[in-house]
Amino acid sequence: MENARRTQAVLTARRAGLVGCTSCGKVHAAGEPACRRCGATLRSRDDKSLQRVWAWLFAGMVAYIPANTYPMLLTTNFGKTQENTIVGGAIELLNHGSWGVALIVFSASVLIPIGKFIAIAYLALSARSAVVIRGHGRQHLYEVVEFIGRWSMIDVFVVAILSALVQFDFAATINPGIAAVSFALSVAFTMISAQNFDPRTLWDAYEEDDT
Amino acid sequence: MTEPRPAELDISKPKPSFWRNLSFVWLVPVLALAISLGLAWQNFANRGVLVDIAFQSAPGVTAGETTIRYRDVTIGRVEQVTFTPDLTKVLVRARIDKDVAPFLDKEAQFWIVSPKVSTRGISGLSTVLSGVYIEGAWDQEAGVQAYRFEGADGPPLVQPGREGKRITLITDDGSLISEGAPVFFHGVEVGRLEKPRLTVTTDSIVVDAFIEAPHDRRLNSATRFWDTSGFDVSLSGAGLSVNFDSMASLLAGGVEFDSIYEGGEPVSPGHVFQVYPDQPTARKSLVSRSNADAVQIAAEFGESVSGLEPGADVRYGGLKVGEVTAIAAQVEDDETGPRVRLMANLAIEPDRLGLPAGAGAADTLDFFEAAVGEGLRARLAATSMFSAALIVELVEIPDADPAIFDRAAEPLPILPSEKSNLPDFTATAEGVFERINALPVEELIEQAIKMMASIEAVTSSESTRAVPDTVVALLEDTRSLVNDDAMRALPGDIRATVAELRAVVSELKEGGAMTNLASALERADTITADIATASAEFPALVEDLRAVAKKANSLEAEELVAAATRVLDSADKVIGSEAARDLPPALNAALDEIRTTLTELREGGAVENANATMASARDAADAVAKATESLPDLSARLEKLVAQSEALIAAYGERSSFNGETLSALREVRSAARAVSQLARAIERNPNSLLIGR
Repeated sequence: MENARRTQAVLTARRAGLVGCTSCGKVHAAGEPACRRCGATLRSRDDKSLQRVWAWLFAGMVAYIPANTYPMLLTTNFGKTQENTIVGGAIELLNHGSWGVALIVFSASVLIPIGKFIAIAYLALSARSAVVIRGHGRQHLYEVVEFIGRWSMIDVFVVAILSALVQFDFAATINPGIAAVSFALSVAFTMISAQNFDPRTLWDAYEEDDT
Repeated sequence: MTEPRPAELDISKPKPSFWRNLSFVWLVPVLALAISLGLAWQNFANRGVLVDIAFQSAPGVTAGETTIRYRDVTIGRVEQVTFTPDLTKVLVRARIDKDVAPFLDKEAQFWIVSPKVSTRGISGLSTVLSGVYIEGAWDQEAGVQAYRFEGADGPPLVQPGREGKRITLITDDGSLISEGAPVFFHGVEVGRLEKPRLTVTTDSIVVDAFIEAPHDRRLNSATRFWDTSGFDVSLSGAGLSVNFDSMASLLAGGVEFDSIYEGGEPVSPGHVFQVYPDQPTARKSLVSRSNADAVQIAAEFGESVSGLEPGADVRYGGLKVGEVTAIAAQVEDDETGPRVRLMANLAIEPDRLGLPAGAGAADTLDFFEAAVGEGLRARLAATSMFSAALIVELVEIPDADPAIFDRAAEPLPILPSEKSNLPDFTATAEGVFERINALPVEELIEQAIKMMASIEAVTSSESTRAVPDTVVALLEDTRSLVNDDAMRALPGDIRATVAELRAVVSELKEGGAMTNLASALERADTITADIATASAEFPALVEDLRAVAKKANSLEAEELVAAATRVLDSADKVIGSEAARDLPPALNAALDEIRTTLTELREGGAVENANATMASARDAADAVAKATESLPDLSARLEKLVAQSEALIAAYGERSSFNGETLSALREVRSAARAVSQLARAIERNPNSLLIGR
């Protein structure tokens, strides 16, 4: 609250009677139904944005559960099949001494997705109130979440490449498990969720303070 | 006065319906949740049943990897390998597919499959690479589901659910019967033995056997089992015979069974059979079948019964009619004091005696009473020449001392006995052995050795080795014979011929002053024509010459030819004679002589001089040609002779020094023959070459 108080009052576009096009960025006077440059529908605030954010976020979280409980990789080595979950694989890598790779896998498949869930949930919850983090901090958080989302796919790529390359019949075979699909879905859902978030709502709380 | 004003209405926008406001995007998480839950539920619902299998040890069983298989299809996976609380066993916890689990009842068996090499082959090879697995076996009927099993050491001998009959065998010797050994029927494997075990109360070995359907129908009360383990060597009149059933039974043991008589009663599962040591014993056991009906009698033998044992046959006319059940000594007092009587108890089967079926003891005793009156007696007999075992024979001896069948004797009726001819037989056998012993086998061998030694001595002696040398010497002799005077006679003859020829030539030389006669004549002939008229002296000369020529003409060439012919004839004769035939090499020398003679002739110059003169003697030469026609004949004969010698010598084998000598001699002979034939051909072509040397 202390931080919020110190935040300077801002003049939002809505208050100034303007609306920006989300597609091309051209600014119009409020009340314009469509962008005069690109023809996109003009809306000062997307009412259903938060709903979509929550919906996709829940979908991503649901998909994340099987992604961690089911095996990610099915490694068949001389007739012996080994199943590795994401965390199990990271721990095994750690046991083999390659802690660097283990760290990458762990952060890409566990830390980033979970951090994303928390960040998106926080942004969605705090959208209409000026809480904890100042306006700019929230904007930065949103940008980071949107940027880092795609890097979670690194695990899926590894699985896809491995299972495409390592196919030596009896000697060694790697097949993707159910978790690979679930994980990819989970990452995709959270990315959609982040994209659906309307960052303009982050500033509405300060607008109220100003009046 | 203020007009009352209505309270300001708190106007707010109508709250949009929660449902209307709801975005369709919410379908996505709902769907995801539904799918996830559905998957989880399916997974949980399809989860297998956890069962515990207790093993003595679990080599190679790994949690999460080792599979459970049924008929080689994976139906589950080991989840945990722990110990029973008291550490006595390994507890393998495995999850079995839901579909299969209901079939796992108390009968189900599990065992660990690992590579194994046994007398019955190699099994479980596939597990070398893939690791061990646990195989299960159970029947095809769902029963009361069980969750706890005792693991077996190996596959069950009988797959649960197999049709068949389980029986029990009793044997005295378990050393040759092992678990899994085959059970044969006429050599075909129809079942297997299980683990042999000792009974608690007796020393017998009890082993369960499972006979597979439909062969279990062959089991009945007439079935006898016998041991076919190892191999069986028997020496009999038919020779030595070695029998064994199969390699597997040789190594692991085995039993065989057969029905030894018709009409056995069917047996129920668990029936106990005795295993006999071998097939003959098993077949002999037949008699025990009707021992109950047997009529007991006794026979007293006044001689040693050593070799007679309980179970020995009682034969009547060679046919077994019963067996000896006991041998006992009985002390009896009579007038001279206590006396020991040797009694043999005999169990006689009435139906085998030929008595009508249902004949009782009384009928049998009646028969014996009558038969003894006719001369029936008991007698000891040997079973075979090589065995000391005795049997009891019932024989009819018409002139036997009268005796009676003591029907009232106690404890058993006594059959009178006759002294056996056993000692005689033994004596005969002994005699045979003695005779065999007395055979001078050692001397025979010694002589043989001696003979071999002398043969060896002969072969290795110097004189034997000298034989080829002798032959060579003989050949040398032959050759010297060729060189002797008699042979020289041939060249001598030819030499004489030559001498005659020479004489003729010298006669020619003397008779016509033949020096340069030919050239003179030729020249004269050509000149004469030219200068005949020119010169007055010439005609006279010519006349002279003509006279000379005439004289030359009239020379006795005929005689020369005749002489030559004679010579050749005689030569022919000589060559045709035995001496010449034996010694062809000498011909060579002779021919050499001829050749030298001819050379001499050539060198003598006389021939050249005689050339022109001889032109007119051509007629005579023709005659010579005719004479030479006999030469091919001669050479043919020589060839034949050579061929004969060759054949003869070829028989001496190749490459010996003798042979080498012979071959070289033959080669000489052949070249001589060739020279002769060449000479003959030359003479044929050009008869006067005999004279002129070309």
